[in-house]
Amino acid sequence: MGFEPKKFIEGAISQMRSQVGKKHAIIAVSGGVDSMTAAAIASKAIPKQLTCIFVDTGLMRKNEAHLVSTAAAKAGIPLQVINASDKFFSSLKGITDPEEKRKIIGGLFIDVFEQAAKSSKAEFLIQGTIAPDWIESGSGLRDTIKSHHNVGGLPKKMGLFLCEPMRELYKDEVRKVAREIGLPLEFSERQPFPGPGLAVRIMGEITPQKAEIVREACAIVEEELEAAAHAKKMEMPWQYFAVLLPIKTVGVLGDARAYGYTIAVRAVESLDGMTAKACRIPPEVLEQISDRITRVLKEHVNRVVYDTTSKPPGTIEWE
Amino acid sequence: MDALIIDFGSQWTHRIHRTLTYLDVSSKIVPVTTPVADILKADVLIFSGGAIRIGLGDAHQTGNSREYIEKFQGPILGICAGQQFIGMHFGGTAQPAKGPEYGKVEIIVDDKDELFAGLPDKFTAWASHNDEVINTPNFKVLAHSKDCSNHAFKSLSRPIYGCLFHPEVEHTQHGSEIYANFLKIAKK
Repeated sequence: MGFEPKKFIEGAISQMRSQVGKKHAIIAVSGGVDSMTAAAIASKAIPKQLTCIFVDTGLMRKNEAHLVSTAAAKAGIPLQVINASDKFFSSLKGITDPEEKRKIIGGLFIDVFEQAAKSSKAEFLIQGTIAPDWIESGSGLRDTIKSHHNVGGLPKKMGLFLCEPMRELYKDEVRKVAREIGLPLEFSERQPFPGPGLAVRIMGEITPQKAEIVREACAIVEEELEAAAHAKKMEMPWQYFAVLLPIKTVGVLGDARAYGYTIAVRAVESLDGMTAKACRIPPEVLEQISDRITRVLKEHVNRVVYDTTSKPPGTIEWE
Repeated sequence: MDALIIDFGSQWTHRIHRTLTYLDVSSKIVPVTTPVADILKADVLIFSGGAIRIGLGDAHQTGNSREYIEKFQGPILGICAGQQFIGMHFGGTAQPAKGPEYGKVEIIVDDKDELFAGLPDKFTAWASHNDEVINTPNFKVLAHSKDCSNHAFKSLSRPIYGCLFHPEVEHTQHGSEIYANFLKIAKK
């Protein structure tokens, strides 16, 4: 009854072996639980035919590249880090439409993967695609809510065959697979992080400076909410982060007028990301987040708001 | 038991599949263009929700679905747009909802019938609808909410049910029990 991770892993391994055959494959990990779990399955199924890469887009979480390579090494997954941040920022210059952003990012990822595939002669691209990715990307009668970079954001023509062992799973089931396959806890229990990274947490145009601002704000939200959850002031949220709004408001800092951006804090409870409810964060925790963000980022941010919307009508990420 | 899920394009169509899998029932998601003969082999039919506006001229996008309802004699459950489609097929009025609901809704059960057997009189459900179906002749209303008079109904002549809210999502309380109850009706 329900979902049996052990059985799933056995099936996924044998299916991957028969699909990929003797060819070489690459897999890109983002540090999220989906791609790391897919990498763990692949490293069991086709260990000698696999190149594992991490693309630093400049839109990752704080210390992500370091964190992911160390943890991947611990999990026995050798990782090649590719820095592509200049390419990402220059291609996203002037782009404000969320769907356009996602499609550009999907295309850039494939460019980088195809380049990496050339040097390793890979013909397959393994992805940690899960059910909400293709559901929300839409097709036929199903409306496109957001084009996930690994589905709706893929270019029409690409030189790699896709292998997606987890297409039918939801996040809670992926976590069960991750635990069963022995991924370190910091991966199996880690909060979801969107494929396009901080790009979808910067409303409007993306710049390296805005990426820095939202990265810092996200780190503060993570630290404060994790601390509050550990102190049993609240349940650990399912996903929690900061969003940088393009709205400037008037503030007063040290008796001087300020005119800075607004940060929205989002924290939701969910099982599978398909429905969600805003967390009830104790007021003193929200205050602490607001105080820290406006102090650390005082040059840029002078207002913090909390998003109380459910999914639906909202989505979890803002874009 | 084999369930066929007729896909009207909901974000939660695959959640119906998951809910049934967790109830140990095999199911398949199929498009509305599936030949009628293939549909007739199933034990139960479920019409999913979707973004199509049944009452606003999108009913033509439901492919062979009218024929499925006419020819398939087993139990049928319609969710959201699926419920509106069933209601309209049998003479009801699908129209923009007086009170559209997104996210949390309190469902008030008027008649437990078999579909809500064992459930409390009120429970929390998740909904996501712009439209609703009303004045459904030969159907009995089983539940409502503050803003919506017909959140669940049942045919008085055939084993056909509908819910406007979504029992397949995790935030709906007792959702899996509602599917289990529907499958129990099918096993009879």
